[in-house]
Amino acid sequence: MIPVLPIILAATAACAVTTSLAAVLLLAERYLVKYGKCKLDVNSGDRLIEVKGGKSVLESLKGEGIFIPSACGGRGTCAYCKLKITEGGGPVAPTELALLTEQELADNVRITCQVKVRNDMSLLVPEHLLSAGEYRGVVERITDLTHDIKNLRIRLTEPERIKYRPGQYIQLEAPAYGDNPEAVYRAYSMSSMPDEDNCIELIIRLVPGGICTTWVFTMLAEGDEVRFNGPYGDFHLSETDREMVWIAGGSGMAPFWSMVRHMAAHGIARKTTYFFGAVRAADLFLLDELRKLDDQHEWFTFVPALSAPADEDKWYGETGLITDVVGRHVPDGSQAEVYLCGSPGMVDAAGRVIEAKGIPPERVFFDKFG
Amino acid sequence: MELLAPGALCRDGFLGDDHRGLAEILDTDRAAVEALGLTHRDIAGALDTACRAAIAGLEAPVHLPGGNLVAQFHDAMGVIPSPWGEGKLFAKGEVVVTDAATEERLIYTPLSVHLIGEHGFYEGRGSPYRIEPAKVARMFGLGKHPNDSDTTSE
Amino acid sequence: MTAMFAETAAQLSPSPGLWIVLISAALTDNILLTRFLGMCPFLSISKQLKSAFGMGLAVMVVTGFTCVLNYLLYIYVLLPLTPYGVPAESLKLILFIVVIAGFVQLLEMVIERISLKLYFSLGIFLPLITVNCAILGASLFMVNNVAGKGYDGWDVLVYGFGAGAGWFLAIMLMAGIRHRIAGGKVPAGLQGVGITLIITGIMAMAFTIFQGMIRT
Repeated sequence: MIPVLPIILAATAACAVTTSLAAVLLLAERYLVKYGKCKLDVNSGDRLIEVKGGKSVLESLKGEGIFIPSACGGRGTCAYCKLKITEGGGPVAPTELALLTEQELADNVRITCQVKVRNDMSLLVPEHLLSAGEYRGVVERITDLTHDIKNLRIRLTEPERIKYRPGQYIQLEAPAYGDNPEAVYRAYSMSSMPDEDNCIELIIRLVPGGICTTWVFTMLAEGDEVRFNGPYGDFHLSETDREMVWIAGGSGMAPFWSMVRHMAAHGIARKTTYFFGAVRAADLFLLDELRKLDDQHEWFTFVPALSAPADEDKWYGETGLITDVVGRHVPDGSQAEVYLCGSPGMVDAAGRVIEAKGIPPERVFFDKFG
Repeated sequence: MELLAPGALCRDGFLGDDHRGLAEILDTDRAAVEALGLTHRDIAGALDTACRAAIAGLEAPVHLPGGNLVAQFHDAMGVIPSPWGEGKLFAKGEVVVTDAATEERLIYTPLSVHLIGEHGFYEGRGSPYRIEPAKVARMFGLGKHPNDSDTTSE
Repeated sequence: MTAMFAETAAQLSPSPGLWIVLISAALTDNILLTRFLGMCPFLSISKQLKSAFGMGLAVMVVTGFTCVLNYLLYIYVLLPLTPYGVPAESLKLILFIVVIAGFVQLLEMVIERISLKLYFSLGIFLPLITVNCAILGASLFMVNNVAGKGYDGWDVLVYGFGAGAGWFLAIMLMAGIRHRIAGGKVPAGLQGVGITLIITGIMAMAFTIFQGMIRT
């Protein structure tokens, strides 16, 4: 005989207790965790915003149209969202300590996705982040450049125009899909020309197991709507007249493709040698277009190099590691500037060649996310 | 650890379709490594040497000295943080180590090297970068299965 | 001497019963040093005086309030249901834990509001107060005392805060001792938890002097 009454009574009692506790907690959260309105002073009075307290600095700024880059979506793992909070930051959270150096802590640099706005604050936001915005666009064309690199052409819908310098990047939003529960943002340099300001182009290489690239390669189709923030980054052509050496591999082509076409269109005739490294011929792309520019413009030289060409490639160009090729082609780099866009491995190898040529660090520019 | 789940840091996550808890996964692998007479650092060390050689090769295949192993690095821009939350960032991309004689392949990432060396985490079964300690020992000739090749001293 | 103290206390105070409840909860029946409950946070947070103070205070507040809440729950919900066959003894375990968990959540919000520094220094240990067995232990002992020694509502209030105060006292003493021996030479194998446990044992032995203070 199952004792029904005691079971029902026990269950009811348990539910009643738990529910009333839940109600108390909900009320408490509503009234205790209220921080009221807080004033955020950006760049010493440059901009004064008032936000409702309780959210992270990153989120609060986003709500006011200031987009700080973040790769991890506010989880406190990527450290992209660092800003100096000169006043009102409060004690440093343990999650921030793991990501900040001693010098940064002394300078009041904080991980803004981990700092809650609880009171008035003063912070410093770099200029180029202030001009970043949120954009919506439609995928106009997807082209395959190689077996694992695609070119994405996006026409802007809202706002319709974007202003940027060649070399800057945007953060593309990959929506939740499949096992991926939340949207993530990934950074891609723009390969398009700023003059054509109603669309952007991205060169995207498939990352094995990558959240965003898997979405781009398997699910994104022409006509789909996409969102992105930007423009970000201070990788751009310098103001000088110095000779330039560009070194890139794979999707590192993007900022340089933007730069060279911009230079051609605006008559910026600085001597430039562009070294593009790959393993075999199948990994090269935009060859014809770059060779054409090489022919048309005296100041531009394009040097593709393969490190392990296959026989059927019938490759007659340079061979070897791209960094060795640079070593051979640049006799005197002492007056040159070097622009690097590639993986950490390539950047390391390039660093050694650069040192050997006697080029000082202040004349070496990196595309800093890799 | 929510960071180990699919979609948090990478598409497939770090646990594959393994239904065991993290503690059990770590324990089982620890026992396997001890049975080989090795430590996590030994295995991570061998993988790290191969990884660095592959990266230096800039995506071209690199023949590892002292054996039949060939390593190749497939580049990817960007960095991925460690799911353990220490704030360390690692280059994205994968290393493929192939044994030219047996055609066996091992695929892992610079992050794997850190997870194995520092935390003894070889990823869950079914994860694309899951590494079996015994397989590493066999391919690199470590521990209780000595071949005539010894690549770890370089 | 302790017997004299008990006599004096009994004669001086208006409700000698409450004094006895307090002394027994905090000293003679110290939930940590006599009953050995709540050791985990005790061992880890006693490293620093400031966090020990914060943690001890938090535990005292939680123990005090949850004892009272659980008493009310026991008297007005569980006991009346016993005639209907509802097993108060097993159900109380679940319900007490739920009440403790809810209260700690509340306390977390309050601490975050009042003192961020304390909030960060307690870190993960704040929500871990929920599973501090000293707190559940105090509630369960309270039920025994209500049934066995006939504690009423006021007794329970004093008992709850007294037990918490006992834990607070123990962790402050330990923090002070660890602060003092911080520069000293502890053998390598015993550093950290090892020497702390040994000291705890010695403190427990010292606290046995309080036995016999109360004539039951």
